Amino acid sequence: MKKSCSAVSRLLEKYFDQEVTDEERSHVEAHLLDCHACRDVLKSMEKLRDLAKTPVEEAVLKEDFPWVWQKIERGIRIEERPTFWEALQSWFQTFPLFQRKVWIPAVAAVAITLIITIPMLFKKTPSYPSASVVEYVESKTYNVMVYELEKAKVTVIWFFEEPEKETPSS
Amino acid sequence: MRRTFLLFLLFILCFASTSAALAQVQVRLRVIGASSEGQSIDPSLKDIYKELGSLFSFTSYRLFRDENLTLSPNQPASISTRRGRLVEVTLMGLHRDIAELKIRVVREDKEILNTQVRLSPGRTVLIGGGPRQREGIIIYALSARF
Repeated sequence: MKKSCSAVSRLLEKYFDQEVTDEERSHVEAHLLDCHACRDVLKSMEKLRDLAKTPVEEAVLKEDFPWVWQKIERGIRIEERPTFWEALQSWFQTFPLFQRKVWIPAVAAVAITLIITIPMLFKKTPSYPSASVVEYVESKTYNVMVYELEKAKVTVIWFFEEPEKETPSS
Repeated sequence: MRRTFLLFLLFILCFASTSAALAQVQVRLRVIGASSEGQSIDPSLKDIYKELGSLFSFTSYRLFRDENLTLSPNQPASISTRRGRLVEVTLMGLHRDIAELKIRVVREDKEILNTQVRLSPGRTVLIGGGPRQREGIIIYALSARF
């Protein structure tokens, strides 16, 4: 290896990967014409690339890419789809009625209403005998009669009104 | 905090209105004209004709008015009927399936009758009377729906 080999060897990999500038390429190619050692290094690089490239290309040829893509897409969809409980949880989180700001006053209101109404609901109400439909009846001017047909569930309140003055027909 | 309080008030109002709706009673008030002229029976009185027939000696029954009054506690509802009469019905209390109703019959600001009755499902209260006139007598039939 010549003295300039050390300088070229730094560029050799870039040259191999075709990443050199035009100036660098002409410099490396001029050196390779004269330097057997550097040519050998380049050849060994090419051999190594061929060794790695062939199985990958073969594998790529064998692989069915549309099918692979379908598999990936299906995987993404499964991953993205939430479970029933996750969906329910997110619905509870987003639904405005179940937000803390709303349900705390709602629960408080329900509790207060229940506290007030439950004693009223369970309050013992007097059971009226079926016969006493009329609690009271009064008429300052007329006589009143109360009559009940228990079987038919009919109560009659009859008042005896004074005869009305008939308006004379003109 | 203020918003929470407002929401709380809103819920209280909702529950209060629901409770008020639950305390309502529907009362059917029928104004019937009974007379001894003719033999016609109004088809809409079929359900109480049997009772009317067994109680009174009239031969003809006509339905003048058929009103469904939705009563809330202590809120009187009134309807004007024939001969310048006014019937005022007030829900005084509600005990399970018994509605306590105060009924006033007024004519020209003069109270003819004041009564309080307990109406249970299926029961009918008939209020009537007064002088027999050419067109007969007015009978008020009241029944409640819970």
